[in-house]
Amino acid sequence: MGENPISIHVLGICSALAITTKIDTAVVMTIAVVAVLSISNVVISLLRNNIPNKVRIIIQMSVIASLVIIADQVLKAYMYDMSKLLGVFLGLIITNCIVLGRAEAYAMQNSPSKALLDGMGNGLGYGTILIAVAFFRELFGFGSIYGAQVITNQIYLGGYENNGLMILSPGAFFILGLIVWAHRAYTETSDKD
Amino acid sequence: MRSDTYTIVFTTIVTVVLGLGLSVTADSLRERQSINEELDIKKNILSVLGFSLSSDWENDKIQSLYEQNINEFIVDKTGSILSSIESSNSDNYTIYQSRENDKVTGYAIPIAGKGLWGTMYGYFAIEPDAETVKGITFYRHKETPGLGAEVDKEWFQNNFIGKKLIDTNGSLVSVEVVKGYVSSTDPKSMHKVDGISGATITGKGLTNFLKNDLQKYEPYLSKVRKLNQIESL
Repeated sequence: MGENPISIHVLGICSALAITTKIDTAVVMTIAVVAVLSISNVVISLLRNNIPNKVRIIIQMSVIASLVIIADQVLKAYMYDMSKLLGVFLGLIITNCIVLGRAEAYAMQNSPSKALLDGMGNGLGYGTILIAVAFFRELFGFGSIYGAQVITNQIYLGGYENNGLMILSPGAFFILGLIVWAHRAYTETSDKD
Repeated sequence: MRSDTYTIVFTTIVTVVLGLGLSVTADSLRERQSINEELDIKKNILSVLGFSLSSDWENDKIQSLYEQNINEFIVDKTGSILSSIESSNSDNYTIYQSRENDKVTGYAIPIAGKGLWGTMYGYFAIEPDAETVKGITFYRHKETPGLGAEVDKEWFQNNFIGKKLIDTNGSLVSVEVVKGYVSSTDPKSMHKVDGISGATITGKGLTNFLKNDLQKYEPYLSKVRKLNQIESL
């Protein structure tokens, strides 16, 4: 709880802004990140005693990059519409500092089973925030939750309008800021207990 | 500290293993991916030509609908229909003709050109009279969500329907995306559609490449119009 990659370490913000206009894209992104992060952590951890120190970052990058490309290819083959929506951002998991960060900081020192749990935990922590941001953006930007319209036509006829700002990146900044604030305020008070 | 030789050997092995893994994955998935891409194009052509598609349709259903109703052919810059053998020549253009019960119901042509952030790709459909707009869709673009990306929205696309491509003299004027709203008193309102506020450059780009693409097909379309005239006499 105190170690969430986005709200505490402020990592992975770029993708958090880009793919959170709808919940379904956020969910698929989460699954992809959890998969890439867990597998890369396990692979790096298995190799940790053999990787020459001089080239370790390059080796980590190659493992991560290969996994991301595989994830991208699989999505293109089995979920074509979704891969069109995620576009370039799936490929950008490579540059998501969470993945390389966990490989370097955790997987290089710990056993594969621990690294797997670490990867899944961080991936899900990242995903929770993504989905939370997407929930608010989709609700206020499109009036729907997971594709189901919750704000009915009657409310629109009553003068309600979807908030266009929520669909644009600034909307994500505001919501992300509020979430980071709320999370930190909460963890701070619980630290004092 | 490990020796340099070890570093080189290790790196080589990792690279080879990863490279092998990637090529195996890419190769085994290629067939499925190209099926998806083709299907996506077919979906777009069908929807621009006014076939209503449901998102939960099986691939086979779309495939058979396409095969039954769409007739693809290639025309050259003089407007003559070419047999597919000559299709390696660059000056020829594909037309997707929709037919229902042996009657032509429309023509779709691919359109592409620069928007604000990148190339926009889509299809433009014309009624069998070869002068009235039947529809427009986009399947790939990089325009700003909420602004230029409104080109995907129904309100924008529906504005095109019923507009005229040619003037009373029979020459091509295409359809222009204006800044703001089209005034109803404008004598040329048949060739204009409302713009998207905040997306002037997207609209201008669309106006330009639409006209450009229509010009390539004009020789063929004018032949269709002449033929229609003769038939109606």
